[in-house]
Amino acid sequence: MSDVLSTPSLWVLGALIAYAFTYFVYSKWVDEKVWEVSADRTTPAHMYMDGVEFFPVSKSVLWGFQFKSIAALGPILGPFIAISYGWLPALIWIILGNMFIGWAHDYSSIMISVRNEGRSMGPLVYQYVGGDRPRTILLGYLLFYLLIISAVFIYLIALFWNVFPGTFLATVIVFIAALIVGQMLYKYQMNVYTVTIFAIIMIAIAVWVGAAVPWPPKDFLGPDYTMLTWSLILAVFLFFAALASMPTFITPMNFISAFPAIGGVIILIIGALLTPLTGISLGQPSIGKFDVLIGNIGPGPIFPVLFVSIACGAVSGWHSLVGSSTTAKQLDVEIDARPVGAGAMLTEGLLALSALAAYMIIPAGSDVFQKGKVAAFVTGAKELAAAYLGGEAMLPFWASFFALFLVIYAFTVQTLVTRYWRLVSGELFTGSLSFLGNKYIATIVGLLIPILFALSGSWLNLWIYFGGSNQLLAGLALFLTAIIVAKMKRPSGYVIGPAIFMLIVTISALGWETYLYAKKVMSYLQTGDVNVLFANPPLKNYPLAAFFMNVVFVVIGIILIGLGFLMAYYLFKSYSAARSEE
Amino acid sequence: MFKRKKDKDKENKKASGVKGILYGMALHGSVTAFLRTRMYMEHLFMLMTLGDMLGFPVIPPYYSLRLLPYAVPNIKSWKARLFRERDFTDMFTG
Repeated sequence: MSDVLSTPSLWVLGALIAYAFTYFVYSKWVDEKVWEVSADRTTPAHMYMDGVEFFPVSKSVLWGFQFKSIAALGPILGPFIAISYGWLPALIWIILGNMFIGWAHDYSSIMISVRNEGRSMGPLVYQYVGGDRPRTILLGYLLFYLLIISAVFIYLIALFWNVFPGTFLATVIVFIAALIVGQMLYKYQMNVYTVTIFAIIMIAIAVWVGAAVPWPPKDFLGPDYTMLTWSLILAVFLFFAALASMPTFITPMNFISAFPAIGGVIILIIGALLTPLTGISLGQPSIGKFDVLIGNIGPGPIFPVLFVSIACGAVSGWHSLVGSSTTAKQLDVEIDARPVGAGAMLTEGLLALSALAAYMIIPAGSDVFQKGKVAAFVTGAKELAAAYLGGEAMLPFWASFFALFLVIYAFTVQTLVTRYWRLVSGELFTGSLSFLGNKYIATIVGLLIPILFALSGSWLNLWIYFGGSNQLLAGLALFLTAIIVAKMKRPSGYVIGPAIFMLIVTISALGWETYLYAKKVMSYLQTGDVNVLFANPPLKNYPLAAFFMNVVFVVIGIILIGLGFLMAYYLFKSYSAARSEE
Repeated sequence: MFKRKKDKDKENKKASGVKGILYGMALHGSVTAFLRTRMYMEHLFMLMTLGDMLGFPVIPPYYSLRLLPYAVPNIKSWKARLFRERDFTDMFTG
């Protein structure tokens, strides 16, 4: 027994049982007792069917769509930060976060839209939280949120290209394959099975090239300019992706990336469950050092950093945008909301578990952790996969596969974010600022600001800003649900508790990160030493610019906290009013 | 015989479930994006040819009337789509 406990297997199995309980018991109770779902109630997909945005789709299709839309780097890289506190706190948060908050958030975001004519977050906030001002606050909040997501993802993709030589070539092959797939599907209307086989072959070639041709080498332009160069190259790709029509690049890219994305998760989960047979044991301590837990060293104090670091693996505000803007409009019957919303979220919890298992097996004190490298995921994942698929000879192949896996997860989301920024800019900037709404200018602005952000601070700091703002959005969506449920005179406890918890956690996390930047700014003002600032090369060579960017992050932190408080105030007011309504 | 048919139905249902998931992950987003692109092009076409129905006379009514019988099946959904307010959070998936 102790042998089994010293592998990730039983822990992963325990989490699977907890998820099964959540799905079959708790979520079912909420579904039946709170929302009183009925297959006979007409959904917006039928009521407003237009064959484009509103049309009924089967639950399996919608589940696949929802999962692919919500799964990104959060559950994969988040556990990397969380494991600094030991794997046990990370595992507990992944399990409890999913059980009590994550699924409730995703499912409810779909239900509030379904019960309100398929409206998305903006109109729902307008309707239930008091008109135009809260809606404008939400818009302002989203703009900062998009910039921070972009900064994190651009930085990470550039980092993956740099630290995994060969991944860039593999990515380019996937890009070319996506363009060809787009033509095959839409121009030549070829059979989907043929296109799928072509896509899978191209991915295999990409992975093989990534493993066989490790070029260009790490830091090929020196430590100062390599990351900047990769970021700019990525920006060029993103610029064209965001401007091209969806079927030209973005949707074929999503198509082609679906296969390694889901394949990778399955390979990892099986690998983790087979660890008692493959002989892989836990390498990380269950609880981290005291100094790390209280934040003297490492990413920050366990509260609140742990809760925002795992991001989408436990709960994510991004999901409420997906659920209310698209999924709810295509839900065939209300009873499908649980398998689609809760089911997809719990599956994302599985993704977080599989990533955590990959980190758990890395030996304590290993280089990949000591140097704080994101390569840790690939190190653990390739071991889990090679242990039962090909042995040591396949290690380079799996390393290339999982590096590409990371890039693909980040890239598919980032193209959508860049495009969304462009569309929102077009709507938002009118009158004398209409030039900012121009599609070329909007896209360039939506890429350059994040690159500037990415050059200052480490990815860890950016990640906590991202996690904080992302989960604050989740808290706001949960609060909005509580208002709607209270107006329905149904028990709102299942969302109001998590909503308040998320608001406290995220505002604390944003406050912590803002404090860190403010401390750096103050230190610089006292010492004049650029090394005390959060700044990556080449920004570090320009002290005033580095100082300015640190000040910008303090301001952004204050704005995000301010907008979060304002929104929470309006939501709480509306919630109290809804509760006191006769 | 009956049982066999039932088993087969069950198998088909499972297969369509797996197929549906793969379709949902890989293609559903593409299909809806494609439909949306077509929708915007149709809006443009309808506005040019039948714009006078919305108060924008673009082409002479003679041609609009000649085209009307072909456009009739689309008019209801066209109006519903065109008049529906779209928020910035509705543009999330493009």
